[in-house]
Amino acid sequence: MDIELSADDLKFRDEVRAFFKAHDYKPGQDYAQWRLDWFKAAREQGGWDVPKWPTAFGGPGWSPTQHYIWEQETARANLPWDLPFGVGMVAPIIMNYGNAEQQERFLPDIRARTVNWCQGYSEPGAGSDLASLKTKAELSADGKHYLVNGSKIWTTMAHIADWIFCLTRTDASGKKQEGITFLLFPMKQDGIEVKPIITLGGSHSVNTVHFTDVKVPVENRIGEEGKGWTYAKGLLAHERTGLAGVSRSLVALEKLKHQAGTVKRGNSSLLDDPSFRAKLAKLEVDLQALEFTELRSLARAASGQQPGPESSILKLKGTEIQQRIAHLTMEAAGPHMAPWGGIHVGPKFASGGTQSYLGSRAFTIYGGASEVQKDIIAKNVLGIRTQGGSN
Amino acid sequence: MNFDLTEEQQLLEDSVARFVADHYALEKRIKLANGNLGFSAEHWQTFAELGWLGVPFDEEDGGIGGGPVESMVVMEQFGRGLVLEPYLATVILGGGVLRRTLEGERRAELLGPLIEGKLQLAFAHSEEQARWDLEDVVSSARQGGDGWVLNGSKTVVYNGGNADLLIVSARSSGGQMDTDGISLFLVDPKANGVEVQAYPTVDGLRAAEIKLTDVKVAGDALLGAAGKAWPIIEVVADEAVLALCAEALGGLEVLYKDTVQYTQERQQFGHPMTDFQTVSHRLVEMFMEYEQCKSLLYRATMEYAQNGHEAARTLSACKHLIGTAGKFIGETAVQLHGGMGVTEELRLGHFFKRQLVIESQFGNADFHLEKFAA
Ligand SMILES: Cc1cc2nc3c(=O)[nH]c(=O)nc-3n(C[C@H](O)[C@H](O)[C@H](O)COP(=O)(O)OP(=O)(O)OC[C@H]3O[C@@H](n4cnc5c(N)ncnc54)[C@H](O)[C@@H]3O)c2cc1C
Ligand SMILES: Cc1cc2nc3c(=O)[nH]c(=O)nc-3n(C[C@H](O)[C@H](O)[C@H](O)COP(=O)(O)OP(=O)(O)OC[C@H]3O[C@@H](n4cnc5c(N)ncnc54)[C@H](O)[C@@H]3O)c2cc1C
Repeated sequence: MDIELSADDLKFRDEVRAFFKAHDYKPGQDYAQWRLDWFKAAREQGGWDVPKWPTAFGGPGWSPTQHYIWEQETARANLPWDLPFGVGMVAPIIMNYGNAEQQERFLPDIRARTVNWCQGYSEPGAGSDLASLKTKAELSADGKHYLVNGSKIWTTMAHIADWIFCLTRTDASGKKQEGITFLLFPMKQDGIEVKPIITLGGSHSVNTVHFTDVKVPVENRIGEEGKGWTYAKGLLAHERTGLAGVSRSLVALEKLKHQAGTVKRGNSSLLDDPSFRAKLAKLEVDLQALEFTELRSLARAASGQQPGPESSILKLKGTEIQQRIAHLTMEAAGPHMAPWGGIHVGPKFASGGTQSYLGSRAFTIYGGASEVQKDIIAKNVLGIRTQGGSN
Repeated sequence: MNFDLTEEQQLLEDSVARFVADHYALEKRIKLANGNLGFSAEHWQTFAELGWLGVPFDEEDGGIGGGPVESMVVMEQFGRGLVLEPYLATVILGGGVLRRTLEGERRAELLGPLIEGKLQLAFAHSEEQARWDLEDVVSSARQGGDGWVLNGSKTVVYNGGNADLLIVSARSSGGQMDTDGISLFLVDPKANGVEVQAYPTVDGLRAAEIKLTDVKVAGDALLGAAGKAWPIIEVVADEAVLALCAEALGGLEVLYKDTVQYTQERQQFGHPMTDFQTVSHRLVEMFMEYEQCKSLLYRATMEYAQNGHEAARTLSACKHLIGTAGKFIGETAVQLHGGMGVTEELRLGHFFKRQLVIESQFGNADFHLEKFAA
C-alpha cells in the first residue's frame, strides 16, 4: 500500500497545470473560437482532448493515476463546455462496433467538438425498463434505408444537437432485448419535431423528440440489425460506473465552506453554527471515504484487473454526495434561497445554490435511477436475484 | 379529548377546499403566478366575501372571532392548492400586529378595510444579517419633529411589492440583539425614502427588498409602545410558524398521495411500480411522516390556543418535523416520479418547491431544533 504520487506523476501534474494556465480563457476573447482552439491545443499535447479514448484512436494512454490527476486538476480549472454525448458516449460505440468507414466519417468531428450529439434512448413508456422501447425502424423493400417512427423523451440538448444516436425497434417478435437496432442520423431534417420540457426552476435542457417517416440510410446503422441492446449496454455500464465526481465534489465542498463563511450569524459566521458544521463535517467524512473507494477502483484497473465490487458504488455514492452538497448550499442561503428570476439578493451564491439543488435531483434518476442501480449491484456483486424486474 | 372539528370549522374547511378545487388547478395557478400581480384580486374579494380575511379578528372588529384552529384549517387547505394570495402576509402577520396594537378609530379605519379585502399588508421585519433571529434588528428609528425617522434595509419581505401598507420594525433603543428597544411602524410604501424592489420567488410567490432612507413618519405611525414591540413580534411569528406548518401539511398530503397514485399507474418491467417493495415501503414512510406531522401540528395548534407563546417549544418541534419531513417527502416524491418528477409539468414539482421555501421562512429545521433543545 502506497499513496504517494511518483516523481513522474508529479511532473505530469505540473504539465497539466501549466497547460490549463497557458490556455485559460481571457476576458474579451471570442468564446466559441477559444473553445475549439482549446481542444485543438489539448489534442496537440498528445490526445488530451480525448483522455479516455484508446491510443489506437488518438487517446493519450494515461495510467489510472494520470486520469485521476487529470480529474483533480479539471475540477479546479476553467474548461470549455463539453457535452458527454459525443466524445464520451457515441464515440466508444462507434470505435467498438462501427465499421472503418463510420469511424472515419464520424470520429474526427466528434473529436473536434464541431458536431453536437444527443442520446435518443428513453421513451415515454420505456424509462427504467429501457429495453421495452417501441420507436419503430422499418427497412425499405430495397434494403437501402430505414423508416423511423416514434417518440423519444428526456433527450438532453436535442434542441441544439446536429446528430442523434438512437435505439430503435426493428423486430418486436422476440425477447424485448432482441430486435433493437442502433441508428445514427441528423437531427435537422423533415419529420423530426423537438419540443422543450421545462424542468424544476424553469430551465430547458431536456426535450421530447417525435419522428415521422424519418429516412435513415442503412450505412448509418451501427453493427448488426437487432444487436443494438448489446452495444448500448456496454455504454450504459460505462456511463453508470464512471467516476464518482469526487474531485468536483471536493472543490464544491471547499467552495461551500467559503460561502458559509460569508454568511453572518451574530458576531460570527454560519461556519460556527454547530448543526451546519456537523453536516459539513459528515459530508467531508463521506467524501474522504469515497475518494479512496475511487482510488481503490483505479488501482485495480491499473493492475489490469476487472473492476472490483467497490467500483459499483461510485455512481450511487457520488451522486448522493453531490445532492447533499447542493442541499447544504441552498440551506446556507437561508431565507435568500427563495428570490428568483435573475434577481440577486442576499449572499452571492444564493440563487445559484437553489438552482443547483433543483438540478441535482435528476442525478439519481438519469443514467439509470438509483433503485435500478441497486438491483444491478444486488445481481452482479452480491449475486442475488430480487423480485424487481430490472435484473 | 377530541380531535374533531366543530360544525363551523368543518364548514370553513369545506368552503376553502371547494374554492381550491375550483380555482387552483395547476394551469390556473401558473397563469396567476406569472401575471402582473402574482395572484388574483378577484380571489381576494372572494376571500373577503366568504369571511376568510376576518378569521382571526374579533367580531367587534368585523371578523369571525376564530382562533388558531380556524387559521390552521384555512392554511392547510390553501396548502393543498398552493394558493398565491397573500393571506399570511396580510391577515396572519400584518393583521396580527394591527389587532394587537391599534385602538379606537384607527383600529376600525384599518381593520375594516383589511377584512373587506381593500387593504393589503406586508411584515417588513427580517434583515439580511439576522437570518432567522427575530431579535436581530439594526434598522433604526429616531424621534424627529413630532414623528420618527426610519433608516435600514429589510429583506425577502413577502408581498412587499403589492402591499398598501408596510409594517416595519426598527430599533429605537438597545443593541443589535436586544429584545428590548424594537418598535413597529406603519409605513406607506410610496412615502419619500422608501425603495421597494419586488421580485418573484422560486415557488411562484412574490417578495421584495425594502430600503428605508430617512423616511419620516408621523407620531401615530408607531404601533404600540416605543421599544416594546418584542412580545408582539414573538407571537406574530408564532402564528406565522403555525400557519406555515399548516400550509406545509396540506402540501405534504398532496405530495404523498400523488406519488401513491402515480406509482400505481406507472408500469415498468411489466409491473406497476408499487410491486417493487422499495417503492411501496417508501410510500409507507412518506405516509408515516405525514401523519406524524399532522399530530404535531394539532399538538402545537392546541397548545398555542391554550397557552399562547408558552407553547413556543412545541411550535419549534412542529416546524422542525415539518421541515425534515418536507425534505424527505418532497425528494422521495420527485425520485419516485422519475423524469416526470423534475419537470414543471406535474403539480408535484411545484409543491416540492413550496416545501423548500416554507423551510426557509421563519427558521429552518436546524434552527428550530436548536430552539427546541435550548
Ligand atoms: C435531466 C434528465 C436528463 C436525461 N437525459 C437523457 C438523455 O439525454 N437521453 C435519454 O435517452 N434519456 C435521458 N434521460 C432519461 C433517464 O434516463 C430516465 O429518466 C431514467 O431512466 C428513468 O426513467 P423514467 O423517467 O421513465 O422513470 P421510471 O422508469 O418511470 O421510474 C420512476 C422511478 O421509479 C423507481 N423505479 C424504477 N424502476 C424501479 C425498480 N425496478 N425497482 C424500484 N424502483 C424503481 C425509481 O425511483 C425511478 O426514479 C434523462 C432524464 C433526466 C431527468
Ligand atoms: C423476542 C421475540 C419474541 C417473539 N415472541 C413470539 C410469540 O410470542 N409468539 C409467536 O408466535 N412468535 C413470536 N416471535 C416470532 C416473531 O413473530 C417472528 O420472529 C417474526 O414473525 C419474524 O419471523 P422470523 O424470525 O422467522 O424471520 P423471517 O420471517 O425469517 O424474517 C427475517 C427478516 O427478514 C425480513 N423480512 C421478512 N419478510 C420480509 C418481507 N416480506 N419483505 C421484506 N423483508 C422481509 C425482516 O427484516 C425480518 O426481520 C418472537 C420473536 C422475537 C424476536
